[in-house]
Amino acid sequence: MASGEATGLRLVAVDVRARALGLCPGEPLARARARLSTPLAVHPFDPEADAAALERLCLWAKRYGPGVAAFGAAEGRDGLFLDIAGSSHLFGGEAGLVADLARRLAANGLPARIAVAGSPGCAFALARHGAGGLVAPGGEAEALSGLPTIALRIEAAMAADLGRLGLRRIGDLAEAPRAPLARRFGETLIRRLDQALGHRPEPLVALDEALVFSAARGFLDPIGHQAAIVATTKRLLAEIAPRLEAAGLGARGLRLTLHRIDGVVRTLALGLSEPTRCPVQVGRLLDLRLDRLGPALDAGFGFETVRLDIVRTAPIAHRQVTLAGDDGTGAGASGLADALRQRLGRGLLRLTPHQSHVPERAETAEPWRVNDVVARRPVRGRPRPLVLLTRGETAEDMLAPDGPPQLFRWRRRLHRITHADGPERIAGEWWSGPAPTRDYYVVEDEAGRRLWVYRQDPPPAESPPPERAARVAPVIGWFVHGMFA
Amino acid sequence: MTQRPLASLSPTDAAPRATETSAARLSALRARLVTQAMEVIPRKHLSFGVHAVDGCLPGGGLGLGHLHEIAPEAEGDEPAALGFALALVARRLAEVPGEALLVLAKGHPMPYGHGLAGLGLDPDRLLLFEAGNDLDAYRALEEALRTGTGTSSGGLAAVAGLVDAGLPLIQSRRLHLAGGRTDRLLLVLRPVGADSPNVAATRWRIAAGKALRDRFGCIERPCWRVRLARCRNGRMGDWLLEWDHAAHRFGLAGALAGHPPETGGRGTGPGQP
Repeated sequence: MASGEATGLRLVAVDVRARALGLCPGEPLARARARLSTPLAVHPFDPEADAAALERLCLWAKRYGPGVAAFGAAEGRDGLFLDIAGSSHLFGGEAGLVADLARRLAANGLPARIAVAGSPGCAFALARHGAGGLVAPGGEAEALSGLPTIALRIEAAMAADLGRLGLRRIGDLAEAPRAPLARRFGETLIRRLDQALGHRPEPLVALDEALVFSAARGFLDPIGHQAAIVATTKRLLAEIAPRLEAAGLGARGLRLTLHRIDGVVRTLALGLSEPTRCPVQVGRLLDLRLDRLGPALDAGFGFETVRLDIVRTAPIAHRQVTLAGDDGTGAGASGLADALRQRLGRGLLRLTPHQSHVPERAETAEPWRVNDVVARRPVRGRPRPLVLLTRGETAEDMLAPDGPPQLFRWRRRLHRITHADGPERIAGEWWSGPAPTRDYYVVEDEAGRRLWVYRQDPPPAESPPPERAARVAPVIGWFVHGMFA
Repeated sequence: MTQRPLASLSPTDAAPRATETSAARLSALRARLVTQAMEVIPRKHLSFGVHAVDGCLPGGGLGLGHLHEIAPEAEGDEPAALGFALALVARRLAEVPGEALLVLAKGHPMPYGHGLAGLGLDPDRLLLFEAGNDLDAYRALEEALRTGTGTSSGGLAAVAGLVDAGLPLIQSRRLHLAGGRTDRLLLVLRPVGADSPNVAATRWRIAAGKALRDRFGCIERPCWRVRLARCRNGRMGDWLLEWDHAAHRFGLAGALAGHPPETGGRGTGPGQP
C-alpha cells in the first residue's frame, strides 16, 4: 500500500510476503521497484476506508465482550483493545478466547497478533512490538523489559531522544530515576510507563461512547460584562483541555452558546487556523470578537448559562516546552489570521501562482492556510510589472509607426515614450477558444514612469473554426496592462 | 521615578529635607527627560546602505517600530511609491526571517507576485489583507503590531498599509504607540494630495525616475527620486536612488552613470554604454 507525498509515492503498509522480500513501510515505492525484480501489487492508501473497516471489526469483536475500543492516534489506528474481564470464562479461559479469536480472524483472512495483559499499555506493547501471548497477572514489568521504548506509545522523536541517552528498552527506562525523566521529557512519558506497568489506570474509550467535548456553567446572578463572558469561557476551556489532551486533540472550531435570562439564545462560532488547547488564546480571540459585535450581542438583563462546545477537532503534535516560556497566544501568521478574522471578519490572503503563461491567469489571491503548499514560481527572465491591471486598458491616440510605441494617451495623460524594451510575444491559450497574440513592450516615458503595454493581433486565420471566430471577435489595438515600480 | 511622596515626611524633619527633595526632584526630572529622548531614538534601524541617506536619519536608518509615511510626489507616481515601500520591505525581509503583512484599503490594486519577485520580494513571504475601508486597515495594522510580540521567531518582520485617504493624527498616534514595543518595520503608503498632520517619524515623497540601463540599453533597475520631506530629529534631503533587487540594496544613482543622455530618442541603439 502506498501514499503520495511531496517527494513521491512511499510505502505505507506491506503484507507478509512483501516483508519477506525485505520491503518495509516508509520506503519510496520507486526504490522498492528498482531494487526488486518481482512485480509488486500496489494499492493506494485510503485512511478513511481503513477507519471504516476498523470500526466494522470493532463491532464484530463485541461478541467477546462489551468493552471494545479502537486504537487511537497514539496507537496508530490499526488495531483494537478488547476488555475481557469477566467474559473470558465463556470461551474456556483466556487461552481459549485467544485461540477462538485467532481462528476466526484467520478464517476471514486477517493476520493478527494477540496479547493478553493486565493493562492496555502492556497488551499493546506485546502485540505491536513483541510476540504477543499471555502475561500472568503481575508479570507486566518482566514481559515489557525487553521491548523498545517506542512500544510505550510515545512519539518516535521522543523514543529517538531516549535512545540517544542509552535508554533503548523499557526495562532501562523503568530502572532510570523518574524525576529527571519527567523533567526532561514531560509528564507524558511517565504516564505511559505507569499505564503500561499497570501502576496507573487507563480508562478505555469504548466504541459507543462518542467523544464529546463540551462544558457549561450556570449562574445564580446573570452575567453581562464582556470580561465576565471571556473569563467564563477561559475557565470552561480549561475544564475541557485535559480531556482534549488525553485524546491527543486540539480545538479548531468552538461554539459558545449564551442563554439569556429571558430565553433568547446567542451563539458565537470561533474558528482557528491551528488546533489549540490554550484558554488564553481562545479568550483573546473571543475578546476581539465581542469587540467587533459590541452592542449587537445585546446582553439584555444578562446571561444565566454559558456553554462551550468543541465542534471541530484536529490532532495536535506534542511540542517541547521552551525555556523562554511560550505565551501560547499563537505565534506568527496563524495567530494574526485568527485575530483578524475575529476582529474584522476577513482572513489573510496569499498570492498563489498558477500554471499559465498568460499574465492575468498566472496568479490569484487565495485564502491563507496553515502549512499551505505553495506552488513553485517559474523563474522568469522577462520583466513583469508590479501592478497588473485586471484587463488591458485601451491606449488612445497611439503613435507607433515602426513597432514600439512612441506616444499615446492613457488615463487622460499623454505619455511621450523615450525608451521601449521588447517585444515579448505571448501567444493566447488557443485550446480555449480564439486567442489573439500579444506583443508586450516595457516602455518608459519622459517622467520615468514605466508601463507594460501590448499590441493585440488577431489570431492566425486558420487556427480557430470560422464560426467561433465570427462570434467572439478579438479586439485589435494597443492596451496598457501594468505598471512597473 | 524615585520620587518620594511628600505625605510620608514627618513634620519634624521636613525643613532640612526640603532642599534635598527639590534637588532629588530636579534630578528625577532630568532622568525622565533623558529617557524620553531615548524613546525618540529607537533601538533598531533599517539602514538604506547609502551613507547620504542614512546620515540624515536619526540613528542611521529607518527606526523599526516607528511610523513612516510614504506618499507619491504627484499623480501618476503611485507605482513608484509602492515600489519604494515594497523595496524597503524586501530589504527588511532579507535581514531577518519572518513574513511581511501588506494591508490594502479600498482603491489599491493587488500587487502582482511575479512582479514582486522581480523587485526582490519573495511573494510567498508576503501576507495580504484586504480591508474594506481605512478604519479597518488601521485596525488590521494595529492588530498585526500587537500579535505574537512575545515570541521572537517566525513572526512578522514588516507591516505596511496602503490607505485610501491621508494618515490622520489619531490613527498615527495609535499606530505609533502599538509599534513602539516591536521591532517591525511600519510603513503607511497614502495617496497623493492627502497631507495631514500626524506623528510619523519620517515622511517620504517618491517620484518616478529614469531607470538604470544595462550595457545593451535595456531597462535594468528601477530608480526613484526620493525626497525626505520631514524627519524627526534628522535632516531633510533629496536623492536619486536605484534599487538592486538581487542584492537587496539601494544605491545612489551616480551623476549620469548608466543613464542615457537626454536625447529624447528611444534609446535602443547599440551604441549605448
